[in-house]
Amino acid sequence: MAYSFYPGCSMEATGKAYLVSFEAVEKALELDAHEIPDWNCCGATVSANYVGDLPQLAIAARNLALAESAGHDVLVGCSSCYLNLAWVNERMKLEPEFAAQINEALGAANMQYNMTLNVRQLIDVLVNDIGLDKIKARTIKPLTGLKVACYSGCQTVRALRRRDFDDVEYPQMMDKVVEALGARAVPFPMAARCCGGSQQFTKVDMIYHCTGKVLESAAQAGADIIVTPCPMCHMNTDVYQKKINKVTGTKYDMPVLFITQLMGVAFDLKPKDLGFSYNIVAPGSKLAAYGVK
Amino acid sequence: MSADKEQATPKYEPAFHREFRAIENGAYASQCMQCGLCAVTCPARELMDYTPRRLFKMIHAGEKEKVMNANTPWLCTSCYLCTVRCPRGIPIVDVMHGLKHELAKKSCKSGVALLSKVFFQSAMKRGRVYEAAMTNSFYMKLGPGSIPDAMKQQDVGLDMIKHKRLPLFPPKKIKGLKDLKKIYEKAAAIQKEAHKDGV
Ligand code: SF4
Ligand code: SF4
Repeated sequence: MAYSFYPGCSMEATGKAYLVSFEAVEKALELDAHEIPDWNCCGATVSANYVGDLPQLAIAARNLALAESAGHDVLVGCSSCYLNLAWVNERMKLEPEFAAQINEALGAANMQYNMTLNVRQLIDVLVNDIGLDKIKARTIKPLTGLKVACYSGCQTVRALRRRDFDDVEYPQMMDKVVEALGARAVPFPMAARCCGGSQQFTKVDMIYHCTGKVLESAAQAGADIIVTPCPMCHMNTDVYQKKINKVTGTKYDMPVLFITQLMGVAFDLKPKDLGFSYNIVAPGSKLAAYGVK
Repeated sequence: MSADKEQATPKYEPAFHREFRAIENGAYASQCMQCGLCAVTCPARELMDYTPRRLFKMIHAGEKEKVMNANTPWLCTSCYLCTVRCPRGIPIVDVMHGLKHELAKKSCKSGVALLSKVFFQSAMKRGRVYEAAMTNSFYMKLGPGSIPDAMKQQDVGLDMIKHKRLPLFPPKKIKGLKDLKKIYEKAAAIQKEAHKDGV
């Protein structure tokens, strides 16, 4: 099955490990993903704070208009990008008046979107299109004994404000992927809780508080590592982990991997193709037995 | 724990509730039945001046000044937990966006308002966000007073640079940048027309 792929700005910068490992896994699973030509920033929810919802969703919709002629489902890795593209798509389908407004805005650039596409999050595609059997079959190095906390994050599962491909509060789909890789998904009540989002520059205490709870919950569950499909969750749990240890007196040593990085390990792909140099908490401490230094 | 603060002499402006209904997504606030589920749900509740429930109550009561000065919307991270839980189906997160947009029209000098502005401007400059320049621009606009805060995060920044998480070069400009601007401007005009009676 072919997809129109929307990488988004984070995947190309702070979340580069996600893009690199996605491309490696994409090849391994023969996923036929084509980058949307000339895609633009989805605006992230943070833009809506400044310009409000309509303009933010209108710029997100340009991407769907660009992808429509290819006719493939739009595949998104980043949770915030997924939220914006999936929500504008859903809302246009549900509210004709809103759809008319978006199309009027797109019309200013001689574009339009006829709402013929599906927007799909990567986890959804892995479980429901590729299938767990294929993931299991491709697993060359089963991650036996590895305990994983699956951190979906908030926007990944609540993009549509209703049950989507997973539960809005207690997501299970990534657990299934991780178990197909031979690892064990630990019970993790914080799986869909907020990491504090983009408050790093404005109220960093929120990051210490919210991400602190996520790390605590993963540690209590006995997890060796956390996996996530979200660049923002990854940023806060990985990049801020040392800082949280310093500020709150904790001693977490919890590598955080993008789900595609962990898949790559189980698929026995070359570690250098999985972007581990971008990880700040060194993955080697917990993954040495599986060939990651 | 409730984050609600009491004030001795609240000022009431009865017209405020009607004005609020006219802002983008503002009308939803009227549907609140004060059950308090959002208040116990919100991850930011302990830092908020007023929980979303309390904010909606103050909107009904016309306590304009308190609503407009509350840190509540600015601490909302758009996590959507309240929004999937609210028994009245109120898209609380959308109300927060509407309120923040309204406040940002008046001033974007600091905090999330400024961050949101520099983020959006960065997105519109090339069609894609350049996070490193956006961060610089945020601190530049905050002025020298922000240096101590920025310094406190220096270790985090250095780790990011060491691990190449902050690219040194900006993303390439998209080809359709002019189109993107036209789309934004048209959408902003439609929005303005639809909500011209707002706060
Ligand atoms: S959960 Fe909904 S109805 Fe209940 S207090 Fe919050 S906004 Fe009002
Ligand atoms: S969306 Fe905002 S107000 Fe609602 S629970 Fe999350 S942070 Fe709180």
